[in-house]
Amino acid sequence: MSAVPLVEQLSREMGISTATALFHGHAPRPVHPVLAPLFRRGGLPRGEIVTMTGSQSLSCALATIAEATKEQKWCAGIGLGEPAVSSIADLGVDLDHFVNVVTPAQDWLRVASILIESFDILVVDPGYLPSAGEQARLLAKVRERRVSFISLAPAKGSTEQIEITDTQWSGTEHGQGRLRSCQVVARSQTGVHRFLLPGPDGTPTEVPASVPERMKPVIRSVS
Amino acid sequence: MSADPALELPLPGRVETGRVETERSLVLTVPDWSAVAAAAEHDLDPRTPVVVLHGGRVIAADAFARSAGVILGISKRAAQLRCPEARVVVWDEEVDNRHFSAGVSALEELVARFTLLSPGTLTIPLGSLRHGYADEPSAVEALISSFVSATGWEFFPGIADTVFAAVLAARQARRVEPGETRQFLAAQPIHALEYAGAEYAELIDVFGHLGLRTLGDLAALDAKDVNSRFGELGRRAHGLATGRGRTAVDDHVRSEQFGVEVGLDTPTTRSDTLSFLTRQLATELLTKVRRHSLVCTQITIELSAVGGQSSTRTWRIDDMNETSIADRLRWQAEGWLAGSAGGSKSGGSKSGGARSGGAGRRNAEAGDLPDPGPDPEDFSEEGIIALSLVAAELTTAIGATKSLFDENTGQVTHTLERLQGLFGPDAVLVPGLQGGWDPAETNLWTPWQQTATPARNPRAPWPGALSAPRPTTVEHLPVDVLTADGHPVGARPAGLEAEPRTIRFPVGGAEAIADYSGSWPIESGWWDPAHSTYRTRLQVVTESGRALLLSKENGQWYVTGRYC
Repeated sequence: MSAVPLVEQLSREMGISTATALFHGHAPRPVHPVLAPLFRRGGLPRGEIVTMTGSQSLSCALATIAEATKEQKWCAGIGLGEPAVSSIADLGVDLDHFVNVVTPAQDWLRVASILIESFDILVVDPGYLPSAGEQARLLAKVRERRVSFISLAPAKGSTEQIEITDTQWSGTEHGQGRLRSCQVVARSQTGVHRFLLPGPDGTPTEVPASVPERMKPVIRSVS
Repeated sequence: MSADPALELPLPGRVETGRVETERSLVLTVPDWSAVAAAAEHDLDPRTPVVVLHGGRVIAADAFARSAGVILGISKRAAQLRCPEARVVVWDEEVDNRHFSAGVSALEELVARFTLLSPGTLTIPLGSLRHGYADEPSAVEALISSFVSATGWEFFPGIADTVFAAVLAARQARRVEPGETRQFLAAQPIHALEYAGAEYAELIDVFGHLGLRTLGDLAALDAKDVNSRFGELGRRAHGLATGRGRTAVDDHVRSEQFGVEVGLDTPTTRSDTLSFLTRQLATELLTKVRRHSLVCTQITIELSAVGGQSSTRTWRIDDMNETSIADRLRWQAEGWLAGSAGGSKSGGSKSGGARSGGAGRRNAEAGDLPDPGPDPEDFSEEGIIALSLVAAELTTAIGATKSLFDENTGQVTHTLERLQGLFGPDAVLVPGLQGGWDPAETNLWTPWQQTATPARNPRAPWPGALSAPRPTTVEHLPVDVLTADGHPVGARPAGLEAEPRTIRFPVGGAEAIADYSGSWPIESGWWDPAHSTYRTRLQVVTESGRALLLSKENGQWYVTGRYC
């Protein structure tokens, strides 16, 4: 935790964020300010595999890619089923730069290897776990093309793992209200973070400093 | 009239004839069409006054209501005060269109070419009437008398040199002499632009604030100044005001002009034969288009089978050439024939068929012989008997040029086309939004490079539509929602009959419901009586912390969305 301000200072004043940045020479892609602390270098790394697991992980992945798609970066989803376009738009993704690929689950690796050639970001829910050899080749390709690869299942060779350990929906009020927001607890290499995903307007939001009495989550559960 | 040629998007009708006065038009409009349509819809007595409301204001009233003092723009209460016996109907776009298209089919017998501008209004190019009638007044008289007897509606005619001026003239039932259109337009108030389309509403306000009270004031400005200040829309408004017309009228002549078709002597199901023919056909079409110094950006491909069925799809292709058109046609044919032939085939084998077609193509590219054995490209016994290609969207060459700011679009296009070649065109989907209440309805996934066709208007009000946060994925899974004692939970407009406690999935067992939202009923009977549904929606949070969107339809609960 304590390293984060130092890293930020380094990246601001010297243009060097971390040793990996020095090695790669590529700045990470910008992400929503609420999500930035989740990542070691304050953004979605390029040429690396990031895993996002737990409930609300698809929302988290879509929220992560939002800033990049607004900068005209192309993103493709593989194996996501039928995402709701309205929620993709709510999370801030530019619909003109998002493509959903619907192919048989067993073909995901082939599809990904084609898309890596020209896409900037891939969000993949793998249909099966690849063998060690396939995994290594995929990683090599991701590194070579400097693609940001978000896997919604644990993957070998991933450099950052973001796991959503707890979700608390609020607003339903036992038949009196409707879903308003979800407070998630996410654990990553940078520590444990707490934020609203989605917040009341559908985008990631900081947890309000003092939760009003009526907004207090009424349920609490651990997945 | 110092029209800058670079700013003019050529209208294909013009390109061909090259004459300027072809746009002289006759416009026929049914006054207060919405009221006429509403009376027909509700089967009202012809003497019953009808008032049509939209957004709480009167937008149409028939002659009886008007004679009782009802004017447009007043509220429902004021209208009822002035004419208590009037039947007040809420405006319905669908009713307007449906009744008009029913009457229009009768008109098809009487005139060869016409264009529907809006429900209740149509335009006929006067050029097409020149040979049948001695002069304009006699043509109009003959047409109106036959129209009135065919449809039973009253028509107001208007004639002017442009369609827009003719629409305005029709409101006064007058004929503008050739060449006097500009003077006629100059006297019209600036608000008349609203008849050219709703997109001008904002511009009308701005013009009003700038002191441009009439179309003449607007026409007096320099076209270039208007263009640089108000952009494309302003330029079009200026063009309308000066009598240069050019509202983009969707005349069916335009599509026929840049269309080619070929009939096959013997029906074929072989995609290589089709590809070969398509290349020839595409060359012909593209040569035609290029000769008019236009660029085709969308193409409609129609395939006709022996049995009379046809498949039509519109594709958007950047850098269109013969090969890319042939590819699209092959995909379309493969998908269509596989779908129509394979009553016994499941969806999985369908995509498998598409894949094997792609693999065959790769083999051919590599110089290998295609797989002998049962021909993987033979999908159906019937076969295709005719092909037609139509340029669905044309633009000037400059309009089709890529922007500097698009990053690696060419590569992305290439990659996605490759995927479409391997897995079929429906494997690559781009998102879009349309109207609807639930995420499943607002979803509009369109295959890459095909034109999105929203089934429901996204701008129409959708009362009761789900607001943020919305579910992340969409599904339609029947489930049981049970009360504490194991009975199904019933739903009434006022709310749930009992507290839901458990949700039981078809597979994967049951889960306790930790919390639930209020329920909303949605009535969609007005949309289409045949699809009239009544739904109740509910959000639940299960014990494991998952949130689900449920919907009860025809007595069955479904999971319609998942927050994940």
